Amino acid sequence: MSSVRKAKHGGLLTVIFSIISVIYVMPIIIVLYNSFKKKIFISKRPFALPDTKSFVGVENYISGIEKIELPKAFGYSLFITVGAVFVIILCTSMCAWYITRVKNAVTSSMYMLFAFSMIIPFQMVMFTLSKIADILKLGNPVGIIIVYLGFGAGLAVFMFCGFVKSIPLEIEEAAMIDGCTPIQTYFKIVFPVMKPTAISVAILEAMWVWNDYLLPYLVLDIKKYKTIPIAIQYLKGGYGAIDMGAMMAMIILAIIPIIVFYIACQKYIIEGVVAGAVKG
Amino acid sequence: MIYLSIGNVTDNVTENDSDSWRFRCTVQWICLETRGYKRYSKRKEVFIMKKKLLSAVLSAAMLATMLTGCGGNDSSQTQAPAADTKTENNAETKTDDTKGDDAQANASAASGSGKVYYLNFKPEQAGDWEELAAKYTAETGVEVVVQTAASGTYESTLKSEMAKSEAPTLFQVNGPVGLATWKDYCYDLSGSEVYGQLKSDDFALKDGDEVKGIAYVVETYGIIYNADILNDYFAKDYAVVKSVEEINSFDNLKAVADSIQENADDLGVKGAFTSAGMDSSSDWRFKTHLANLPIYYEYQEDGIGSTDAIKGTYLENYKNIWDLYITDSVCAPSLLSSKTGEDATADFALGDAVFYQNGTWAYTDLSGNGMEDESLGMLPIYIGVEGEENQGLCTGSENYWCVNKNASPEDIQATLDFMNWCVTSHDGCDSLSYIMGFVCPFKAFDSYPAANPLVNIANDYVSSGKTSVAWTFTTMPSEEWKNGVGSALLEYAQGTGEWSAVETAFVDGWASEFAAANN
Amino acid sequence: MEKAIKKYFPIFALPTLLAFTIGFIIPFILGVYLSFCEFTTVTDAKFVGFKNYIRIWGDSTFIHSLWYTALFTIVSVLAINILAFAVAMLLTKGIKGTNLFRTVFFMPNLIGGIILGYIWQLILNGILAGMERTLTYSSAYGFWGLVILMCWQQVGYMMIIYIAGIQNIPGDLIEAAKIDGANNRQLLRHVTLPMVMPSITICSFLTLTNSFKLFDQNLALTAGEPSNKSEMLALNIFNTFYGRNGWEGVGQAKAVIFFILVALIAVVQLKATREKEVQA
Repeated sequence: MSSVRKAKHGGLLTVIFSIISVIYVMPIIIVLYNSFKKKIFISKRPFALPDTKSFVGVENYISGIEKIELPKAFGYSLFITVGAVFVIILCTSMCAWYITRVKNAVTSSMYMLFAFSMIIPFQMVMFTLSKIADILKLGNPVGIIIVYLGFGAGLAVFMFCGFVKSIPLEIEEAAMIDGCTPIQTYFKIVFPVMKPTAISVAILEAMWVWNDYLLPYLVLDIKKYKTIPIAIQYLKGGYGAIDMGAMMAMIILAIIPIIVFYIACQKYIIEGVVAGAVKG
Repeated sequence: MIYLSIGNVTDNVTENDSDSWRFRCTVQWICLETRGYKRYSKRKEVFIMKKKLLSAVLSAAMLATMLTGCGGNDSSQTQAPAADTKTENNAETKTDDTKGDDAQANASAASGSGKVYYLNFKPEQAGDWEELAAKYTAETGVEVVVQTAASGTYESTLKSEMAKSEAPTLFQVNGPVGLATWKDYCYDLSGSEVYGQLKSDDFALKDGDEVKGIAYVVETYGIIYNADILNDYFAKDYAVVKSVEEINSFDNLKAVADSIQENADDLGVKGAFTSAGMDSSSDWRFKTHLANLPIYYEYQEDGIGSTDAIKGTYLENYKNIWDLYITDSVCAPSLLSSKTGEDATADFALGDAVFYQNGTWAYTDLSGNGMEDESLGMLPIYIGVEGEENQGLCTGSENYWCVNKNASPEDIQATLDFMNWCVTSHDGCDSLSYIMGFVCPFKAFDSYPAANPLVNIANDYVSSGKTSVAWTFTTMPSEEWKNGVGSALLEYAQGTGEWSAVETAFVDGWASEFAAANN
Repeated sequence: MEKAIKKYFPIFALPTLLAFTIGFIIPFILGVYLSFCEFTTVTDAKFVGFKNYIRIWGDSTFIHSLWYTALFTIVSVLAINILAFAVAMLLTKGIKGTNLFRTVFFMPNLIGGIILGYIWQLILNGILAGMERTLTYSSAYGFWGLVILMCWQQVGYMMIIYIAGIQNIPGDLIEAAKIDGANNRQLLRHVTLPMVMPSITICSFLTLTNSFKLFDQNLALTAGEPSNKSEMLALNIFNTFYGRNGWEGVGQAKAVIFFILVALIAVVQLKATREKEVQA
């Protein structure tokens, strides 16, 4: 980073940015302290700190968990996200390598279709996709992983293809001459080289799957499996009006793991986003 | 790596769940034997909460383990494949298990037991239905799943659920209009036991000779009032009437409300009426229930029971009562768009308002918020029509049970059995009358007199010879029509729209929606 | 080598292709077909030609949501990119705490749309209550509420990409410009901006498609209230499809139009900004 210059007003900027940063995290802090307030005080005076009259301890957390079974939703969300990301990385990277290395009409039309699918809005296929998923009995946490592989393949294949093109052929050829089968070549030579791209793809897909609402809502058997966004949205309806107390508490429970995860893996996430954007 | 402990997570969740479930059933029985319902359900809640907190802590702990893995070095990756296989194995075993279950279910179905999936319409009683279903399962071993649609989204949930292969076996329609959409899915109930339990054919929804739906709850709404505050008011010198019997017309109601509003501080209230919230949890009170009155009177005048084109003869009266609700209110009209049903309940239960338009179903919420039975009263909704001194409360049903005829014969039989159990067994009748607070039109309920004071008030109106107002809103052409009227009402209240928009939505909207639904 | 790999099609490409067929190709083709049909489920579809497309234009909510979405897209793309670029410029000056600020600004991006919507509903309704207004008072409040929400969510993400772009500018290029006597403004206009053009392409593409396809945030923040006036296209399609009996075909036809619009915008935008890029 040779372009770093000493800023003229470094100190002042630091102060300004510190203030902006505090404002930036304020919404989450407000939700946090509201989650300890009695529900009728939340919508009436959202910015007031809890006091002896409005403080209810963890009551909102208990009633929220009681209503929407958030730990269970957390388990499903985690299972689906991890499963889908793993399957997407494995299958699409193999597929991308194949369609880049083998050139014929089939592979090039596959490439076009994958690229094309990236811009399709979900509403275009929401009904037909959920119907087909239902016919094929994919309305469970395992089945939806296949749906995610199908609908999310476009971006992943596209990104992997971009990277595979930049890998010199010589290494792979050398490995094959040494007697490696294509499968061995792929897992021993190609996949390790693709690791940075794989991390980018994993992060982008994970952010999408974890936060996705409409696809699981339409595809999953929602009376059995609710992911976190579905569970949170259910607070609004299933029990009449929004229980603001439970809503605040569940929002906090839903974002704490994300923030912890983010802080722990920040470096990979930010690098992954940059790499993903530049190649995409 | 993220995937290290995923197998454990799912395992734990499912295990915990089924364990707690079994345990719940046992506890439930013990509790049932020894305690009253209310206390039992409190205890159960605390128990479930503890159990769920525990699993929350568990998941958090697991998350922590994973994160340490995530921050770690590359060497941990070598373990990943092993863990992955484990995950997949688990997944496979899981699928196999479900297959096994299915097979079992099929086998036992042959011997006469299917499954019940009830898509419930009433959010107020969502938890009660789940408890009742668990009780039935504990008694008979038949699986009953209850799913409650979000407030205002019953139609769309029903549509997306019906498209699935595990569709609801028991669902609801709101009346003739709802039936028109769903009649191809309705099993003919004419030979069923539950139909035989009905007190009168008036409560059956028929299509030709076939019984397509059965009303399972009869409800009444009007203007609920706080008798304590109203009595305080009658004692004041500015009171325009001296007893609740004198409030027998729109003019009197308005005079009372106006003077309460004027002397709000003296009476210790914030307004005469609760907030007329137009959030989706509350807007049906006005776009559907209040709109019933102008439609009812128009039908009366024209001697009809439904129409393809409403004239809007009594729209002026609709405007007057709506003006009253939003002017003599606890909150500014500009805040109505996000006021919820819960806000209105709170306004009324905390004594901030005297009048609250709602129905018998609101009793559980009100008593849950500390209202005493003696403080509750109910007035008819007067809109200024001639002869309204004899008008009673609005009574009817928009809750008809329908059985999905596309379900497997076993599931249909299981569903019919469940319905019959609900309206004949002690547990069912007791839960429906005393926990859910329903009035049910079935024979067995004669020995379960209502504990809901609002129901008794409604009965008093009938026995004193007042004419009940029928529920004509079951003939409204579509949800879209109600939404149109609701939006226009809100815009008018806020001052961002004109009353003429309500008229357009009401009259023109009726014609176009009727045409769209029947083309 | 190509020959050796070729026969491994079933292992490398087939899984992804199968999932892609289930998750995208069939639903897409079926979706286009159903837009010409009247149906309640796939099996009872009846071909009606362009009737659904004609009925769309009689639905005033669609036209309104189209303009609302277009306006929202323009405003949010400009706001997000200008803010993100400005922050990126300041955060590459080497001030103290840069890493912390970067972490804070990026964080909201990981929180899902449904949760974001409810967080901001609380905050904005709290602020508006002071003026006796609510978010759903008129569509203007919902509009600016959504813009604020989207800025909060996306500025950090775009900032990361801009920072990477700015850091990639070779230091000697800036030195050379300075020796030639370029002032700060000229430096920005003639060196920095052209050099970060690839980042601008990416960021404007991402914000454009994100804003245009927005669904979760819209649903959670205002759900289209009042009178469907704050309803964006994606939500309008969903509501038409699942909320109104007898309108399924129209909903599907709207989705096809929506897809064509997204595709057009994506192609035009990529063409327009790619032309401005210079080789670094």
